[in-house]
Formats: sequence, structure tokens, C-alpha cells
Amino acid sequence: MEKDQVFMGEGLNRAAAVQAGWNSCSFGMEMETDELNCVGSCFLNPKWHNSMDQSDPFESALSSMVCSPAASNAGSTNFPASGDNTMMTDLIGKLGNICNTGDISPQSLIKPPNTNNNCSSNTSCYTSPLDSPTKLNLSIMGGNQILKHPSLVPVSADPVFAERAARFSCFNGLNAQLGVTEAEFVQLTRVSTNQSIMVTGSQVHVPDSNKNTLQDGNSCSDKRNSRLSRCSSPENGDSKDESSISEQIPGVGSSIKAQNDANARKRKSMPRGKAKETPSPAAADAKIAEENDESTAKRSKQQNDSAKAENKENPKPPEPPKDYIHVRARRGQATDSHSLAERVRREKISERMKFLQDLVPGCNKVTGKALMLDEIINYVQSLQRQVEFLSMKLATVNPRMNANTEALLSKDMFRSRGSLPHSHYPMDSSALAFGLRYQPQQGLPMNNGISNDTQIQFSMNPANAALHKTQGLQLPPVDGISDANPQIGSFWDDDLQSIVQMGFGQNQPQSCQ
Amino acid sequence: MDSQHLNPSSLKSRFTARFLRALIKINAQKPISSSSPRDIFQRYQRIKVAADKSMAYSVRSRRTWSRATLWKLRSRSRRRLASSGRRSSIKTRTTTTTTTTTTSTNHRAAIVEKTSHEKENKEDHVGLAVQAEELRELVPGGESMDLCNLLDETAHYIKCLTTQVQVMKKIANLYSLE
Repeated sequence: MEKDQVFMGEGLNRAAAVQAGWNSCSFGMEMETDELNCVGSCFLNPKWHNSMDQSDPFESALSSMVCSPAASNAGSTNFPASGDNTMMTDLIGKLGNICNTGDISPQSLIKPPNTNNNCSSNTSCYTSPLDSPTKLNLSIMGGNQILKHPSLVPVSADPVFAERAARFSCFNGLNAQLGVTEAEFVQLTRVSTNQSIMVTGSQVHVPDSNKNTLQDGNSCSDKRNSRLSRCSSPENGDSKDESSISEQIPGVGSSIKAQNDANARKRKSMPRGKAKETPSPAAADAKIAEENDESTAKRSKQQNDSAKAENKENPKPPEPPKDYIHVRARRGQATDSHSLAERVRREKISERMKFLQDLVPGCNKVTGKALMLDEIINYVQSLQRQVEFLSMKLATVNPRMNANTEALLSKDMFRSRGSLPHSHYPMDSSALAFGLRYQPQQGLPMNNGISNDTQIQFSMNPANAALHKTQGLQLPPVDGISDANPQIGSFWDDDLQSIVQMGFGQNQPQSCQ
Repeated sequence: MDSQHLNPSSLKSRFTARFLRALIKINAQKPISSSSPRDIFQRYQRIKVAADKSMAYSVRSRRTWSRATLWKLRSRSRRRLASSGRRSSIKTRTTTTTTTTTTSTNHRAAIVEKTSHEKENKEDHVGLAVQAEELRELVPGGESMDLCNLLDETAHYIKCLTTQVQVMKKIANLYSLE
């Protein structure tokens, strides 16, 4: 019972976050934090099921999620737009997969919500942030970010999601719905105590304040109200519906983990998943929660709830959670804290291995971490050997550090520090040109003399260059330079090419201005 | 021809500027005409050190490997000064001792951390311990990092190494063109 409520609360939080995101990213965040704070405070009291204190935060939490769908439908009981429902389900599904750090690529999953015309405007604002983040971002970003962009990782709509969305839609602030929702709550949660129902019911009453804020999302939530009829069906005390609903409701939260039909066991994964949301600061709490969860589902739910309460409290204190990596236990996987943490680590490592795979050439065919690491080691060794070889080459092959290299260096310094103003440049380049042009004609003895002259010129240039640090490099076009020197061809400095060609006797008057 | 306006403060340009400056300095110290193997070897070593140093400086201290490289180079130079028996050796010795103590404590802590991490990681990557060790030896400063950070550092290190190799290749080509 409490567990169910807890699950619902979680799901509501998620939905609240979703709806918050619906309205506007920034605004949604405000709402979201408010809701989260409310919910967090709600779980402060382990015995919240016995006290009515949580009703207020829970109310607001509920109202937040309720209002956004309800706002648009204020006063209307008819919500025929099927697209909205799909929208809602998609959004909830997105929430479910936000914490899926590895499996789903955001881009591919963006499609479903976009298909909904009604809510396209709502979703459009999410696709752009959705496009950019990669799995890496998802895993690395803290939970707060995930919460801020609840729709970041959409998930293909699941009919079960639709059901859950309908359930949530039943929480809308409409009185007519309230009655239904209350009744539904009774059956959904199998709450032995009426308080939970009253809590939820009262929560639904609050929406007024939030309705304004959550207007936008309501249009998308219209669909959910269409499910009211279905919501009301359990009212009749259909045991089957009851079980299914109760199963699905907790599954809403757990659906975030996986798109699976919620079953009783899923409830267990919920607290575990929540526990993992705060691995770093609430590691102890997580462990506590984990320990609680490790026991059977029938174990004292109070403990679970309290652990969950603690977990929820920690991740959602007055300030938004920071740097929490929300991990959810996936279906069929071990869910104790150790394995979850290990899984997070493993995923991080595999991400980095993939990144390294791109860096290291020829690693695409290699599969497996060991082989990849071997490849990486070989590559690093080869690079280091290359550096040694090149430095040896530079030590031997460089007989003359003359005006060429000085010109190169000066050019490099120009480039690295920003360019001289254009007025200066012609002077410098002309000096360069003159100095370098003379060089090959006069042979070695003159080189020293000219190099001295150019050195003097160059000494001025660094000073000038230093003066104009942040200017973009305004080099004259070097179009006149032919690719006579193919070896230089791909050097990143066309100017260097020009200089070298000048130095090498190709009297080209190009880069002078 | 397209004029590529490189980011003036990119890693490549920073490294190139520093390295060329160091190169010029090295070449100015001794005339290159004398090509005794010993001189060449000395110059080679200096150039190698200059290359590593300029790369590490270009990265500043943002990365563990750059910090480790710089520390290694500095300690090596200090040791050299100390061994040469200069007056500054006293100062360097004290500094080296302080640095060594700090580094030793760091290393000790790092080793402890590493072993703890290793214990955790071993559960996940039983077969990767060997390669991880090799990688740690290759990447400077990698002895005290868990696999996750080690891979991070390796990626950045590879990127910088490729830049280094690229630039040095070009410079060598330019020199050899004469």
C-alpha cells in the first residue's frame, strides 16, 4: 500500500517532471523542483502513511502532474484526441528511458513524439536538446539534468505506458475525475488505509495553483482523460482491473527502467532503482534501501518506503540534485547496490572504450575489451616511438637553423598569438620575402648576414605579435602559391608553405600583402 | 588555395610555437655542423624533452598525464642540477625532497586507492588487469588511476601525441627539404 503510493508518487514525480518540461524548459524546472521538494518532504516522514502531513506535498506533486494535463482540459470532460494520449505515453516512456544509459539512442527515439501533431509544438522544444546529447551525456549528466529534460530520451510508446498515462490522467484536477481517481486509487493501490486515497484525492484538489502553470501540457494530456472511462471501470470493483492497475501503476515508475509489464516484482525494482539515483551521497541510504529491497517483496514495505523516503529525500533536497547518476536496475539484472554501481562503472568504461575506438585507427574490427586495450597500447607505444624517431631526425637532419626556420617560427608565433594588424604585415612579410629571397642566391655566407637582418626584423615581430594577441590571423591570401612543394602540401599553415617556398627560391611575390 | 585560419590558441598552434622556440634554442646552443654521435644524441634527448615539455605545457595542468610529465621533467632537471653539484643543488635538493615526499604520499595514497579500485574493477574486468597495467606504464601519471579515468587520460594523451607527431613530422620535412 505504501509502496504503491510510493510508486505512484515516483511516477507522479516523473510525470510532473515531464509536464514541467512540457510547459517550458525553464519553467518546467521550477515546477519540477517544487514538486520534487514537495515530494521529498513528503517522504521525510517514514510514517507518512500514517500522517496526513504528506498530503500537502503529495498534493502539490500530484497536482503538478495532474495540472499540466488537466489545465488544457479544464472544464472539459471529453478528451478525444488520441494523439495527446500517445503524446503523454511517449513522454512518460521517455522518462522511463532517461536513465537508460546505454541502450537507446535519443535520436532514434525522438520520432514517435514528433508524429503527434497536437503536441508537436511541445515536443519541438525537446527535440533540439534531444538531438545533441549522446549516451555519454546521458550517463554523465546528473540526475537534475535528466529531470530537467524529462523528454530527452523518448521511448517508443508502449501500450502499457498508455495505460499508465491513463492512470495518471485520471489524477487530473477535475472533480468529476477526482471521484473516479479516488475510487481508482482505492483499487489501484489496494490501500488498506484510506489515508492514501484521501491523500491522493486531496492532492488532486490542489491543482488550481498549478493549473495556470501547466496549461501547455494539458492539451497533450487530453488523451488521458479519455481514459477516464477506463479509469472508472475499476471503480466497479473489478478485481482483475484492480490487479492489473495496481500492477501497472507501480510499473509506471518502473517502466522508466524497462518497458515491461509491471508485475509485483517490479515494485521491488522501483525502490532499488530509486536507491541508485543517489549513488554518491546517499550511498549509505542506497545500501539501506538495497538491503531492504533485497528481501522479498513481501518484506516490510514500511522499511522500503522509509528507505525510499530517505532516498527520495536525499536526491531531492531543497536544492536540486547535482551530479547524481540515475541508474535503474534493468529487468532481469541483479539489483543490489554493488552490481548497480559496477554496472555504472562498466558502462562508463565501455563508453570510453568506444571513444578510444574512434581515436585509434583500425580498431573497428576489434571486439572485446582486451583486444581493444591491446590495440590501444600498441598505438600509444607506436606514437611514442614516432615522437622519439622524429626528435632524432630533427636532431640530425637539421643542419641549418637559418632564416627559414626563423621565418617559420615567426610565422608560427604570429599564428599562435594572433595576427599583427594588417598594416604591419606587409612590412614583415616584405622583410621576410627580401631576406629569404636573397638567401638562395647568395649562398651560405650571406645566409648568416641576412639571417641576422631578418632576425632583427623578426625580433620586432614577436613584440608586435604580442601586442595584438587576440586578433584573428589576417594573413594575405596565399592563392598565388602553387603546390610546387608537395611535401608541405597538407601542412596546416598555408603561410608556412608560402614562407618555405619563398625561402626555397621560388620567388613568388604573393604573400607580401 | 584555401587559407585555413586555425584557432590561434588551439593545442596544435600552442605546441608548435613552444616546440619551435625550444628547437631554435637548442640549435642555437651548439652549431649543428659538428655531428659527433654524442652531440647528436644529446641534441636528440634535448629535443625529445623539449617536445614532451612543450606538449605538456600546452595542455597546462588540466590533465593528469601532463602534470605527471611536467613533474617528471622538473624533477629530472632538478636531479641533474643537484648531481652536477651546483650551488642551487641545495635548494633543489630541498625542493626535490619536498616534492618527493609529497609525491610519495600522493603515490601511496594513489596506490591505496588504486588497489581498492583494482579490487572493485577486478570483479568486472578480470582479464583486463594486465593490459590496464601496461597502459598505466605507458601513460604518464597513469599509475594512480582507476580504469575509467585511465581510459580518459589515454584518449586525451593519444590526441596530444598525434598532434605532436604531426607537427614534428612537418617540421622535419621542412628541415629536410633544404
